[in-house]
Amino acid sequence: MSVETVEIHAREHDSFLEEVHSFEFWFQSVEGYLAGHPYGVDPSTPIPDLDEEEKATLIATLSTYCVGELAALDGAGGMIGFAPNRQAKIFLATQAVDEARHLEVMLHRLKELGVTDSQREFESRANRNLLAFRKRLLEFVDAKDWEASLLAQNVILESMEFAAFHSHMKTADPRTAQMLSGVLKDERRHMGFGENDLGRHLAQAPHARARLREIKKELDALVLATFEDSQRELGTPASERPEIGRLYLETVARLGFDS
Amino acid sequence: MSDFLNAYSIQTWLESCPQGYLEDTEYGHAPGQKEPELILENPTLRQESIQSTVQLVVGERAALAASSGLINSAPDYPSKRFLATQTLDEARHVEIFTQRLYDLGVKKDELEDVISQYANPHLVKFAEVLLEKVDKGDFLAGVVGQNIVLEGMAFSVFEMMQASNVELNPKFAKTLSGTIADERRHVGFGENRIGSLLQEHPEKKPEIEQMQKDMTYHMLATFADSFRGNAPAMEETRKIAQEAIPDQKHQVWHGTDLGSADPAELENVLADTVLKEFKTRLGRIGLEYQEPAKP
Ligand SMILES: [Fe+2]
Ligand SMILES: [Fe+2]
Ligand SMILES: [Fe+2]
Ligand SMILES: [Fe+2]
Repeated sequence: MSVETVEIHAREHDSFLEEVHSFEFWFQSVEGYLAGHPYGVDPSTPIPDLDEEEKATLIATLSTYCVGELAALDGAGGMIGFAPNRQAKIFLATQAVDEARHLEVMLHRLKELGVTDSQREFESRANRNLLAFRKRLLEFVDAKDWEASLLAQNVILESMEFAAFHSHMKTADPRTAQMLSGVLKDERRHMGFGENDLGRHLAQAPHARARLREIKKELDALVLATFEDSQRELGTPASERPEIGRLYLETVARLGFDS
Repeated sequence: MSDFLNAYSIQTWLESCPQGYLEDTEYGHAPGQKEPELILENPTLRQESIQSTVQLVVGERAALAASSGLINSAPDYPSKRFLATQTLDEARHVEIFTQRLYDLGVKKDELEDVISQYANPHLVKFAEVLLEKVDKGDFLAGVVGQNIVLEGMAFSVFEMMQASNVELNPKFAKTLSGTIADERRHVGFGENRIGSLLQEHPEKKPEIEQMQKDMTYHMLATFADSFRGNAPAMEETRKIAQEAIPDQKHQVWHGTDLGSADPAELENVLADTVLKEFKTRLGRIGLEYQEPAKP
């Protein structure tokens, strides 16, 4: 390709990014599944009749999700300050609202399940591996380390949530499943941003790959340990536990970050 | 503590803002609405519009950096959630005012140069004073600087601009009306949340008051540059607009006829309006307004 063609491509790509990383694009995307769905659920969906054990399991699971969503909210908010351009800043602003919404709809579902102080509830239950993950993510953000933050937040954390929500949806009650399906649509958009931005970044700075691989190895361990802890807590048989971990690793690999 | 914060949920925000007053708009105005030919074709008017829009972009970039930077240091989830909605509002403001620069003919690859060329240095300083607090993770000072001082300024500036543009530029007036609705929500948050936190940390007051004084100085200096310092250009643009639309209805804002008042009078009414708001709002959260030197 001639220099000119490359430039035209780059310019076209820039206007494409300008479009998809805009408030307008975000609103068009979410409006389809959020209109008429307060707190992510069609109000006519009946409240399911769960027995005490099912309820306790769901409360524990949603509480763990809330910790992840809070980390994502802090992460996305913090990254805006050092994002490399306006489009990335605007995209991350839409992501911050998405993450705050995820936390809100999950807290709302917890309330429906009879949890009165849902915020205190989820904070007290936080899994130590997930907290360690959050701490690492926010260290990258504090250091204004764009590539490490983007990997931790938009690749690893998003893939972890994707694997967890995707697996959970198969067995969830209809209200929880609907809420999760809207959340998943947002998470897909967030993963797309991570894949795209980090992919382009690595194409220009291939030497960064080795460092990111080390970070990924460290974070993978925390993600897999979080899955292990929460599944043990939920009483998932040991034979079924690797399933979600595998889905996570596959998702990360699909985004171009295999081990 | 946070009952009032329930009014700032994402759900409420979604229903009132993107699904409410922004429904069926693009970049904040009705689809298809354009900048008036008069502005696009007259070099003086166009230049004047670019220059004032650059100040809006600079202010909104500061608001975006501040609101997003405060999410991390916010002490509770409801505050984080509110700040997330504010972050996206501010990102939208950056987007629509940047889009206006493009609509006025600024080329995409000239954007940053145009912004650095026209950005008022005092407005840049104003933002730096605020962002220094945000960077340090100082939630209290950050919210006072952002949601009372910066928002208080933005709110009145937008209102005044909106009134002056209703007849001349309905597209821009419509864009402004959505941002005014957003800023009104942002100002409310600052007062509610900060009042209670300041009672817990009275020792922070002197430092916050100093920040308010510094920011106010740079704000008034920006106003001085934009009105008194820009008087000949302002008179000129007004003359051109009046010749083009002779039967323009004059808008009165806070008792001042925006169509006939001279630049110094306009500057006074804007400064007085903003400062009066500052005094009331700071008083409500238990801070005393600090008067800066006159620029
Ligand atoms: Fe999320
Ligand atoms: Fe996400
Ligand atoms: Fe704004
Ligand atoms: Fe604002």
